Amino acid sequence: MIDVFLQYDFLRYSFYTSVLIGFLAPIVGVFIVVRRMSLMADALSHITLTGIAFSLLLGRHFSLFAGANPVYMGMVFAVGGSILTENLRRTYRFYQEIAIPIILSSAVGIGVVFISLADGFTTDLFSYLFGSVSAVSEGDFQMVLLLTGAVSLLLLLFYKELFFLSFDEEQAVVSGLPKQWMHFLFIIITAVVIGLSMQIVGILLVSALMTLPVAAAMRLASSFKQMFIYSVLIGEVSVMSGLVAAFHLDTAPGGMIVVINILLLLIILGITSAGGTMQRRGRRGTA
Amino acid sequence: MELLEQLTFLERGIIAGLLIGFTAPLIGAFLLVRRMTIISEGLSHVTLTGITAGVLMIQTAAWLEWVNPLYTGLLFSLLGSLAIEKLRQVYKHFSELAVPIILSGGVGVSAVMISIAATSYTEWYNYLFGSIVTVSLNDLFFSLGVGAAALLILGLFYKELLSLSFDSEFAAASGIPARRLNFIFSLLIALVISMSIMIVGILLVGALITLPVAAAVLFAKSFRQVMILGILFGEAAVIGGIISSYYLNVATGGMIVLTGVILLAGAVLVRRLMDIFSSSRKEESTA
Repeated sequence: MIDVFLQYDFLRYSFYTSVLIGFLAPIVGVFIVVRRMSLMADALSHITLTGIAFSLLLGRHFSLFAGANPVYMGMVFAVGGSILTENLRRTYRFYQEIAIPIILSSAVGIGVVFISLADGFTTDLFSYLFGSVSAVSEGDFQMVLLLTGAVSLLLLLFYKELFFLSFDEEQAVVSGLPKQWMHFLFIIITAVVIGLSMQIVGILLVSALMTLPVAAAMRLASSFKQMFIYSVLIGEVSVMSGLVAAFHLDTAPGGMIVVINILLLLIILGITSAGGTMQRRGRRGTA
Repeated sequence: MELLEQLTFLERGIIAGLLIGFTAPLIGAFLLVRRMTIISEGLSHVTLTGITAGVLMIQTAAWLEWVNPLYTGLLFSLLGSLAIEKLRQVYKHFSELAVPIILSGGVGVSAVMISIAATSYTEWYNYLFGSIVTVSLNDLFFSLGVGAAALLILGLFYKELLSLSFDSEFAAASGIPARRLNFIFSLLIALVISMSIMIVGILLVGALITLPVAAAVLFAKSFRQVMILGILFGEAAVIGGIISSYYLNVATGGMIVLTGVILLAGAVLVRRLMDIFSSSRKEESTA
């Protein structure tokens, strides 16, 4: 089944890309979930849509932007949006949690206006929203490879700092960690990973790839390291099988990947909760 | 009824829009004080799943033709709210994971069904981003009926919901059935979402629930004022959005949200100016 993917160029690069994002998205997702920022991933991915729409609009009027991959503008918007979210949190001191819904819904609204102005309600928009099997060209893939390398390197370099900040923010700040800078760095990493992943899974489904494997891994893992291993495992299984299934069934790859991911999550939830009650019963039996 | 039948499509759209501009901020005010605004995003994305399921059902089984996809959307949105509650219990320590899981899961499943259903992209875009032109007489009746039901429920349970929102412990102690009321509240959200879809679209419903109250809460001194100002901002956004989208020939949902965003930005600016002004006056008086 996978042979087809190695045979044709346009499928091959999508396949390689999906292997990379199946690894990268869950890893970043672990930090996102542990830092209680899973909603932020949703907001950032929706802003990426605004950026992409803006880039499409510019491309229609300025030839300079016509050739550019809209994903990069999406990444820029995501970073800008996260700064705006921080700002809104300060404005709504008593209702901080409203910052994300404000950003999320405004982003889609403004995005729709841009798309509408660019006459962009076409099939292309659907692949931006829900992913596409054949969106990655050779040039795109080189960029994907480069960015994956950069993100992995940054994560390795700052692993300790991010770990510290995620689990004990106060202690981390007291011991002199530049919280603002680390947070900003993390946002940039997230924005880049969203931009990379969306080419395969689509904007509306990127956050699924960051939260679902982690949510499943959480039920199994007994340490932070195990959480990484399980999430990557679940991420890779769902991305690869989803992509192959999407190609053969002719459906949107993002949807297929998420559906498989949800099934895995349900199975794991079923097993762990059954196991939990068994354990409890067992304990009661010995007592 | 005859009066309604004589309306042009634009008038139908405006009536439905005004109704939404009134109802959505009312629910939004409750969501704001309960710190649950994000749930509207989660449920609206699940409504998409319901609608795609409805469309697919109609296509595959001819005897189900009488089903309006909006009904299945409503049903799914209710099921979604139950699932969110359930997931909150499963992830006790990471309860904020519940909404992203449901949100992305909902979009994922609908992406697959959209690919399977042989419906034109334009129709999906209408569901996603709303279109004032496609509001049929049936849709208007649906909106009026659902809106009336929502307002009736809100009127009947106003006191209970208020006390549950502001002091859930006190409410429980005074014998208010919290569980049943929470379900009624989910029903309200689901009703408002399903009545708004035809005008603003699924991806933008959250904006009409969130943005007006976010602007209102900057100025309001009481809950009543949040509701009244919220309705004013909501209606202004709807009217401004419909008029500008008609003249600029841009998607209605997008323009409504954009007007809402501009109003909110204006509100934040005015609030900051007022703060600066009042603090400088205070300094003068103390000096």
